[in-house]
Amino acid sequence: MDSERIETLLEKYWNAETSLEEENELYLFFQTCPASEKWNEAAELFRYLHNEKKKTMQDPFFDQAVTKQTGQRPKGKTIRMRNGFQIMRIAAGILVMVAAVYLIGMEVRKNSPQAGADTETDPQRAFEETKKALLMISRNFNKAQQEVGKINLLNEAEQKIRNKPTTPEQEIKD
Amino acid sequence: MNLEDFENRVLPAKHKLYRFAFRLLGSREEAKDVVQDVMIKVWYGRDLAEVQNMEAWCMRITKNLSLDRLRSRQRKGTHSLENSAEVQQDELTPHEKTEQNESMKRIDQLMATLPDKQRQVMHLRDVEGYSYNEIGEILELDMNQVKVNLFRARNAVREKLIKLNAYGL
Repeated sequence: MDSERIETLLEKYWNAETSLEEENELYLFFQTCPASEKWNEAAELFRYLHNEKKKTMQDPFFDQAVTKQTGQRPKGKTIRMRNGFQIMRIAAGILVMVAAVYLIGMEVRKNSPQAGADTETDPQRAFEETKKALLMISRNFNKAQQEVGKINLLNEAEQKIRNKPTTPEQEIKD
Repeated sequence: MNLEDFENRVLPAKHKLYRFAFRLLGSREEAKDVVQDVMIKVWYGRDLAEVQNMEAWCMRITKNLSLDRLRSRQRKGTHSLENSAEVQQDELTPHEKTEQNESMKRIDQLMATLPDKQRQVMHLRDVEGYSYNEIGEILELDMNQVKVNLFRARNAVREKLIKLNAYGL
């Protein structure tokens, strides 16, 4: 390769204007040709780049380690439990809660009176009792109505005072 | 993604991912851990059918995980970004130490002193040979930013090399 071409390519290289192909051309040139004084820096740099490209990960078991990890569990969301003891602890907690709720429920049901149960066995007696209760309600209701009548009287009186005709003096003022 | 697909499309990129992680972290062990994390993340990741360029996608995850590690390092105060070059030098095997000449060490140090974006762009272009589009995709930069960073990085390295060769500075 002529030196003019190298000169042009290097100029482009330092200005970050070279294509990948041109950079490869330079790379190959400095690999095969001994460096001249003229392109000392470039030769040094390309020798360094050549060295860097050769660096590899020195671990023969890397692939094995990675594929082992990728094969350990199936894809998707997984929940990890540290050990069986922890699972047992959680299960025991849930069991205690369920048992407590059930037993408390039983106790509450046993102690509370049954709302809809009959208290009388004889229908005639039950009718008499109901009649008695309804009469008592009616009596009290009538008593309350009389009291309300008194309040009505007061209301009427108040209305009359409000509707009292105005005096002639007030009319003049207006 | 099935295992065969994974072995054909993802696993072969491990050396590139490793070099990039090593460039960012300057530690072999950490770089290897990052690559392993990337592989696992890609395997268990979803919507991979939509990924056009699997290698660029893996590189992007490598960059993010490496930067997370660097941030965590900075928080702990164990390392800093600036001394990554020294870490890199310390961690060379005896065989590599004898093989790598002074010039290589010097450029390694020069590269380590570049600003993050410039260093990343120059590595992806000059070592891995990615196109501007791919670099933009990996580093989440637009084409213009990629070109500007590459221009600045190459020129910074060139100027420093000229100074070193001329005055030994």
